[in-house]
Formats: sequence, structure tokens, C-alpha cells
Amino acid sequence: MAIIDARALPDASHLEADLVIIGGGLAGITLAKELAGSPLKIIVLESGGLEMEPETQALYAGSCVQKADGAKDRPLDNYPVQSRVRALGGSGHVWGGKCGPLDPADFAERPWIPNSGWPVTREQMQGYYDRACDLLEIDRFPLKRPTTTAEALQPLALDDEDGFFPAPRVFARISGRADKPAFDRFRTQFADAPNITVYLYANVVRIRRERDIVTGLEVACLDGKRHTAKAARYVLATGGIENVRLLLASDNLGNRHDLVGRFFQGHLTYSNDSDTQREGSAFAASRAAPLDLYAPAQRIAPHCVIGAGLAAQKRMQTGNFTATLFRANFSNTDPTIAADTQTLGKGAAKLDRGQDQSNLLGFFAMTEHFPNPDSRITLDPDQRDALGTPRIRLTWVHGKKDFEDLERSIDGLANALGASGEGRLCWSLRRDELLAASSASRHHMGTTRMHRDPKKGVVDINGRLHEARNLYVAGSSVFPTSGIVNPTLTILALTLRLADHLKSEKKAA
Amino acid sequence: MALAAAPGFSAAAPSLPDLDRNAVRRIGQAWRDSHPEATERTLSARLFPAGRGPEALPALRAAVAADFRAGRIFIHRGWRLSDTEGALFALLAMET
Repeated sequence: MAIIDARALPDASHLEADLVIIGGGLAGITLAKELAGSPLKIIVLESGGLEMEPETQALYAGSCVQKADGAKDRPLDNYPVQSRVRALGGSGHVWGGKCGPLDPADFAERPWIPNSGWPVTREQMQGYYDRACDLLEIDRFPLKRPTTTAEALQPLALDDEDGFFPAPRVFARISGRADKPAFDRFRTQFADAPNITVYLYANVVRIRRERDIVTGLEVACLDGKRHTAKAARYVLATGGIENVRLLLASDNLGNRHDLVGRFFQGHLTYSNDSDTQREGSAFAASRAAPLDLYAPAQRIAPHCVIGAGLAAQKRMQTGNFTATLFRANFSNTDPTIAADTQTLGKGAAKLDRGQDQSNLLGFFAMTEHFPNPDSRITLDPDQRDALGTPRIRLTWVHGKKDFEDLERSIDGLANALGASGEGRLCWSLRRDELLAASSASRHHMGTTRMHRDPKKGVVDINGRLHEARNLYVAGSSVFPTSGIVNPTLTILALTLRLADHLKSEKKAA
Repeated sequence: MALAAAPGFSAAAPSLPDLDRNAVRRIGQAWRDSHPEATERTLSARLFPAGRGPEALPALRAAVAADFRAGRIFIHRGWRLSDTEGALFALLAMET
């Protein structure tokens, strides 16, 4: 119907709809798109405007510290502001576009990983993944990878018993970074539907409830105006941190079992450059053919990472792990290190494949961040934003198992590559260097986790809050475990699943 | 960088490519630091029990794979090598 500036409404306006979507990011927009043209009257309340603005972005401000076993704490106080975008389209404005589905193993309950297991399987999600791919205009990800005869696209010949496999990744152009006009169409055209109204600069600061029913929303604008909104059903889709903030700021809504904000999971990438004593993270491939399947010439071309499937995880007693190979320039390496590396690689290539040269690539590692109740978001009642909402404190904890499993996975992959005659892996980071050498992603997961049991999860299998029967949560905060792949495609797939549920619920009503 | 070739290595292991002499010494010495008892004779007997003919390379390859499967790893500057490779570099270093 329209995109309206909430600041232009008369003060104390009252908005009513069948469904209010709180947050106009990729999840909120996907939900609205799916319900466009339906009999439901829908309102989307977005905190920001059409583009990033410092004053709105500052509402994210809070504190963040990373803690890890045996490492010095790493403060990342700008992280809450820098890792999200508060504007229509959300963090899609800065999203790199990388897409992939979670692996079947990510959904499995793995007894060696406490709090693992989703109430749905990858097979049950496949149809939603397909639809999410269609929405983003990318190729679908079949459960079984198609084969090819192209030599450069042959996967590494790791033995089946090793359990490593090529996990696909592609890049969507519907992101602010890749194709701004396409992204702009994606994030605005849905509002042309007659049943949808988007309000910009409309910050939900409180969710009101009576017993187990949400009765309305308090909406504030930075210019001082205050409004209210009411609907039969609500969907909270403001991101893995802000979902928590709004629930906790609304009299601890959903937090009867002290779970809201706990189990924060964020992806880290680990790699290092060489110095005068050691080579950096690298892979000396023994085959002569280029490994275009893993390290294409163009960085954002479709490719695969080396993933650890369920068999590998079970054998190594680890979680998910990936190694991403890339073409690197090793010209700055110390000459002594370079000579050793070249000599080791030549020797390996000859022993493995009868080749005289190895093919040197860089790699970075990622491991699943295990669900940990001590890794959590809380509110700081002494620090409030311009609208009076308490700011967040993020304590991002990596337990001993996180780093132990990373090292065990590295060793497992190195052994598998060597045993299969594919090459040698170099990994020279010590345990006490891991946190400092890591890079923090913008992926925020697990803080309103999905579980059938209200004592173990904040939302049920349909994303509905256990404590409020007309409030749903969308986004990566419902992920019980984090996997490794960028979460956007799964966020969209789960949102499409939620859309189907909301449609069926309406029909039943 | 241009590596100095070590022609003498072809006598030690006929199928190996020319390798940088200094690098071989460093890698071989690193392995020997944890195997001080190793001698040229014992290493030769271990690595080339049937001589250094064409059959030597497949046998070394099998030993390397077995090492990785058993977790017998030698780490040099972060590189995960098989113990057999470490021993081979040590022998090559001794023979030059």
C-alpha cells in the first residue's frame, strides 16, 4: 500500500492490523512478501529510514567482550553498532551475499555436543531452502551434489571414511553491496501490495501483554512522537541481538526459564599469515589440475568449502568445521620459510601424485560455535539509548571445547588430505593466539532458541514464543545451533516456513 | 624465489624432484631433533628396504598414507607431514 514516515503521523497515532511485523530487515521483508496479496492487513514497523543514518544506527550501541579459555578478553565495544544495519532492508545493505544451506549434520542431535539438535531436519527444510533460493534468484542447493566431468571442478578425493565433503556456497546479487538497484526493488516493491503498509522511523520500544497474549506495541520516533500499534498476531524480526533486547525490555517477556539472551553464538574465522618462524595457514595441493571447485579465480564465484559431515564429526567428536581455500599471494613470505614450504610441497606432490610441483593456496578455518548458556546478552539498566531503552551487554564466550575441537578438526583434515594423497595442510596458530587471530562475523544466533520444551527453548517449533500465543520470532535468534554457513539463507527459509504456518493458522481460525 | 638445486638427491631417491639443499637440511634436522638415534643406515633400511628402484616410490607413498591414518605426524613450521616424510628429509640431508 505504502511506505510512510512515522514521524509524519499525528502524535499518539494508533495503528491496527491483523499482523504486525517488527523489523524491516531481510526476515521481516521476506515474511511480508510471502503474505502480500493475502486477506491479512499487515503493518511493518521499521526503526530506520531507507538508508543508514548515524542517529538511528546509534540505537544499537552497547558493549561487547569476547572471552575464551586461556586467552585475554577481547573488547569489541563497537561491534553491536557495526555488525547490523538499522534501515529498511536491514543488514542486507552490507551483506556480502554469500549463501548456503545448513548441513544435515547441523540439524542433528549430536550426543557429544550439549544442547545440539533442531526440532526439524534438513530434509524437512529442503522445500523452504528451495523457495528461499528462488526468492534470492540463486540456484537451488540439492541435498545430493551434482557431479561434473570437468577436471578443475573435481572434488578432493578424500576417502568416504574421512567424512569430509565439498559444501557449496554461492553469492546472491540481491544485497546492497552486490546490486543496489536489485536490492532496492527487493526491499521496497512488496509495499505496493494493497494489504501492506511499512512505517519507517517507527521504533518498537515495548511489547505489552496480558498473561499469555500480546496486547499491543509502544512505538517511539526519535523526534519525540509516540504511537501505538495493535494486531491479532505479531512477529519479532529485529535481529539476533535486538530481538533479545526488546523481549527483556518488555518485562522479561518469554524469559520465564531464564533462556532469553543465552546461548549467543557467533561465527569466527581463523587464519594467520607467515612470520619469520612459521608458515601461515596454507594448503599445498598435490594435484596438477587447478582446484577451481574450491578456489575459483573470482572470489565471489560459486565454490565449495571443505566441510566436516556427520561421519567426520562423530569420528573426531567435534562439531561442524570448514576450510575455505583461496588463491593467495605468498610473495611476501620470509625467504627461508618460502624455501621450506616449496620444498615440503614438492616432496609431497611427488610422493602423492608423482608431480614435481605443488599448488599453494591459502585457507581459513571456521568451526561451529557451540551453544553455551554463559555466552549471552543482558541489559545494562544504567545505560539507555535516546529512546530510553536499556543498552545491551554482549558477553561472547568460547569454551574450552570450541578451541579443542578446532584443533582436532584441523588435525583430522590434515590427516585426511595426507592419507588421500591430496596434499599437506599448514596450521601454526597456538591455542593462546586463536582468539586474537580470529575475525568476528556479523552472524548473531541462538538467543531465542527453538525447542519443543519450554524449559529448553524460548520459541516452539513454529517460532512462536512459548509464553505468548500470538507472538512469533523470526531470524537467526531461533537457531538452536549455529552451523558454519552464513545464516541468511536459513533465516529466509525459516521465515517462509513461518509464513506458511501463519497462513494455515489463519485458515484454521 | 629461485631455489638452489641439489643434484645429489637424485641418487638418494631417484624419483624425487630437485629440492633446495638448505631447506632439506632444515627440515631433516627438525625431524632429527626428535629422533637423535636415527642414522643414515637405519633410515635407509627403513625407507628403502627393497632398494631405491622404481618400486621405492609406491612403497613410500603407502607408508605416508599409513602414517597419516595412524596420526604419526611430524610438524615443521606448522606443516603437518607424515613421519615417513620427516625421516626421508633427514636421510636426504645426511646424504648430502
